[in-house]
Amino acid sequence: MDLSAEVILSVTHLQKAIRRKPIIRDITFEVYRGEVFGFLGPNGAGKTTTIRMLVGLAAYDGGDIKIGGYSLRDDFTRAISQVGCIVENPELYKFMSGRENLEHFARMSGNISAERIDEVVRLVDLAHALDDKVKTYSLGMRQRLGIAQALLHRPRLLILDEPTNGLDPAGIREMRLFIRRLAEEEQLAVFVSSHMLSEIEMMCDRVAIINQGKVISVGSVASLMEQFADQVEWTFAQDKLDAGMELLRSLPFVKEAWLTAEQRVKCRMETDKIAEANKALVQADIPILGIATKTVTLEDLFLSLTTGGEATA
Amino acid sequence: MIALIHNETLKLLRRRRFLVVLLILAILIPIFTYAQYKSVLTAQERMGTSDWRALLQQQIVDTQNRLASSRMPAEWQEFLKVRIQQQQYYLDHNINPMAPGAPTFARGFMDQAISLFLPMIIVVLAVDLVSAEFSEGTIKLLLTRPIRRWQVLASKYLTLLLFVSLVIIATLMLASLISGIVFGYSGWDLPVLTGFQVVGSELDTSRVFVLPQWQYLLMQYGLGWFVSVVVGTITFMVSVLVRSAAAGMGIMMAALISGTILTQMASTWESAKYLFNVNLGLTDYLAGVLPPIRGMTLSFSLAVLSVWAIVSLMIAFVVFIRRDVTT
Repeated sequence: MDLSAEVILSVTHLQKAIRRKPIIRDITFEVYRGEVFGFLGPNGAGKTTTIRMLVGLAAYDGGDIKIGGYSLRDDFTRAISQVGCIVENPELYKFMSGRENLEHFARMSGNISAERIDEVVRLVDLAHALDDKVKTYSLGMRQRLGIAQALLHRPRLLILDEPTNGLDPAGIREMRLFIRRLAEEEQLAVFVSSHMLSEIEMMCDRVAIINQGKVISVGSVASLMEQFADQVEWTFAQDKLDAGMELLRSLPFVKEAWLTAEQRVKCRMETDKIAEANKALVQADIPILGIATKTVTLEDLFLSLTTGGEATA
Repeated sequence: MIALIHNETLKLLRRRRFLVVLLILAILIPIFTYAQYKSVLTAQERMGTSDWRALLQQQIVDTQNRLASSRMPAEWQEFLKVRIQQQQYYLDHNINPMAPGAPTFARGFMDQAISLFLPMIIVVLAVDLVSAEFSEGTIKLLLTRPIRRWQVLASKYLTLLLFVSLVIIATLMLASLISGIVFGYSGWDLPVLTGFQVVGSELDTSRVFVLPQWQYLLMQYGLGWFVSVVVGTITFMVSVLVRSAAAGMGIMMAALISGTILTQMASTWESAKYLFNVNLGLTDYLAGVLPPIRGMTLSFSLAVLSVWAIVSLMIAFVVFIRRDVTT
C-alpha cells in the first residue's frame, strides 16, 4: 500500500463489553482511500458489533473510531456525514416507492439535488422500477436501492455488511465488479464484511481477520498468504518435541516455530533450507519421523487463525 | 427539523394511520348520532311530551325516588345528589341542558369520548411511531445520517403533536357535521352552565357562570387535546421501550381500560388518584360531575397528567439516545 494514501477510516484499540462481557477486546486497523478492505471473521467473532460501532448504532467503551479525521464519538455528525452504509439487510420503507425512499434520505442529509438522485439511480441501474413500491422489489433490487441510498450524499467511506448475502451467482459477480468500480473510479474507501473467503480474496485489496473480538492479522491478501506460506511441519518423537523445537528456533533462517495441536512442530522457513535444518537436527541426535511442507490457501490461513489461534503472527 | 417533520408526516400518512383514525370516527359518529336520536324519541314517547322542562323534572323525581328507596353505596348517593342539584339549577334558570343540535351532540360526544375512546384513537396513531422503525430495521438507516438522535426523536414527537391536534379538530368537525344532519346545526349560542365546584357531597354553585355553548365546546375540546397529548406522550414512550406494536397496543389498552374500571369503582383507594388513567375525564369538571376519587380537582388532574407526560418524554429520550441498536 502506498504510504501516502489517505486514511479515511481509522480504528484504534476499540473495546466494547455487553453486559460486562467483553465482546470487542482490541481492534485496530486503517482503511485508505480507493481501496476495498475486507473484514473477515467467523460467526460470533464480533464483526457485526464492530460494524454497528463504525456507523454509530452502538457506542464503544474504549479506543476510538475516526472517519476522515473526525471522531465518531466527539464529532458524530461530521464523522457520519462521510459514511454511507448498509448494515445487514437493506431494509427500506416497503410502503413507499424507491424514489420516495431516496427523497426521504436525501432530506436527512440536506442539499442533495434531484439530479444527484437520478445520477445514483443510473449508477445502480434502477430507473425502470423507481416509482414502484419497494415491497414489489426483488432482493437484488433492494440491495441496489440500499446502495443508492448509501451513495446519495457522496460519502468517502462505504460500509457494506455481507453485501452479497442472498444474491445469486450472477448478482454476486455484478456486486463484486460494482464495488471494485466504486473504489477504483470513484476513489471511495469501501469496507466489506464477509464470511466468504473466496469473495474477499477476489474483491479486496487488504483484509483484517478477527476472532474473539481481536484483530489477528491485517494486511494485503498477498502478503498475508506469503506470511503464512513456507510453513514446514516436523514430526518428532514425543520425548524429543521440546528439544526439536528449541533447536529449530536457534537456527538463523527459521523465522518462527511453534507446537501444533497435533503435537507436531511447525515453523516458518524457506523450503530450500529444509536439508540444512534436517542436518542440524540429525547432528543433535533428534530423530525426525516426518517432514511436510504446507501450501497455505486463504482458507487454511483463516481456519488456522480462527480455530485455536495457534498461528499467532 | 422541518425536513425531518416532512419525512415523518409522509411516513405516518403512508402507513395509513391517520386514515384509519378518520374512518373510525366517520363510522362511529353516525352510530352514536342514531343512538342519541332514538333515546330522545323514546324519552318523548314515554313522557308523552316533548317539553324538556317536564322531562328534566321527571328525571329529578326518578333520581330522588331511587335515592330514597335503595341501599346504594354512599359514594353513589353523593353522586346522584350532586346530579339533582345541578338539574334543579338548570330548571330554576330555565336552561335546557340537552337542547338538541349539532353542538350539543359534539359536547356530549366529547364528554363520553375523553376518557376512553379518544385515548384509544391516539394510541392507534402513536403506538408504532418509533417501534415500527425498529421492527422494520429502517432505524439503522435513520440513525446513520448526520443528524443527532434527539433530533430524530423530536421530529417524531412533533409530528405526533401535529396529528393529535388534527384528530381533535377532525373529531369536532365530524361530530358537528354528521350529527347536524339529524339534529340541525343550531345551538352554538345556547347558554351552558359551568364553574360547578364539588365540596364534599355538596354542589357549590356560587361560582357558576353561563357560557355560550361554542365557548364551552372550545374549552372541552381543548381539554380533549390535552388528554390526547398526554396519552400520546405515554404511548410514545411505550413505542420507544417496546419493540412490538402488538405488545405496545396491549399495554396501552390495559392501562386505559383499567383506568375506566378504577373510576367506576368510585374508589376508596385514595392514592389511585395519582395514576394517569383515572384522571382522563377532564370535561367532567366543567360539567360538575362528582370526581371518581375524593380530592380530585381540575388543576389536580392537569398537574398529575403533566407530570406523567413529562416523565414519559424524558424516559423516551434518554432510552432512545443511549440505547445500542441491535436489530
